[in-house]
Amino acid sequence: MSEIKAARLRRKKVEAATETSAPELVAGRNTVKSNRLKLLITVVGRSKAEYYADLIQSLDVNMQVTAFGHGTADAKMLVLLGLDNSEKAVIFSIIQENKVPEAVSMLEEKFKTIKDGKGVAFTVPLSSVIGTLIFSFLSNTRITVKEDK
Amino acid sequence: MDGKYEAIFCIVNAGYSELVMDAAKEVGARGGTVIHARGTANKEAEQYFKITIQPEKDIVMILVPLSIKDAVLHAIYKSAGLKTEGQGIAFSLHVDDVVGLSPLSLSNAENPEQNK
Repeated sequence: MSEIKAARLRRKKVEAATETSAPELVAGRNTVKSNRLKLLITVVGRSKAEYYADLIQSLDVNMQVTAFGHGTADAKMLVLLGLDNSEKAVIFSIIQENKVPEAVSMLEEKFKTIKDGKGVAFTVPLSSVIGTLIFSFLSNTRITVKEDK
Repeated sequence: MDGKYEAIFCIVNAGYSELVMDAAKEVGARGGTVIHARGTANKEAEQYFKITIQPEKDIVMILVPLSIKDAVLHAIYKSAGLKTEGQGIAFSLHVDDVVGLSPLSLSNAENPEQNK
């Protein structure tokens, strides 16, 4: 019996907490409908990591993280694709949706033309970002940033 | 190419990435990228569930055609899932734009039957 009472009490507490915090949450939530953000993941050879990071940065990209990794394709496949080393860099970039077609076509062209510059790139849509300043930073929206006086 | 690919991420204990790749390749994946990482866990939960989380991790990132995504996830779960030594967690993300894949993988994505 005491367990049931305790459970009821807990439920009441939870209900009370949601009643007070829910409106704040709803009021503070904004939905971005146009020009949303995407995560662009680019996998390239380590020697070309800086080049590709600079290239992507030129498309109003303010934040990029590069991690080092290695490819796992077998030796036969590497020869088939004309690749010779498996040391890779993975570049994670936050990019605006309307810049994606430009980025993708630019990367595709560079992957084909640059020596040792082959790679793979793909985008994943972001579902949420917390903080308006962070969002402005990531989407390079300078209007909303207040100037220091 | 929209909607035809999924990115599978698998977080395993360091040194087990080959196990993941072998399982994925068996069901048609071509290649992946391994990133070294450090995992964090809730110490209290670790004690409660009597498990230890090895902090050194490998993240295996595999781009696969949508048609074989379930098979790859299932194969990874079987060979490197949480109940195995690899203690792997795998999930997939929908991918919008893909560039740079070899024409061979692209033709396989369009005709998955050829892959079998």
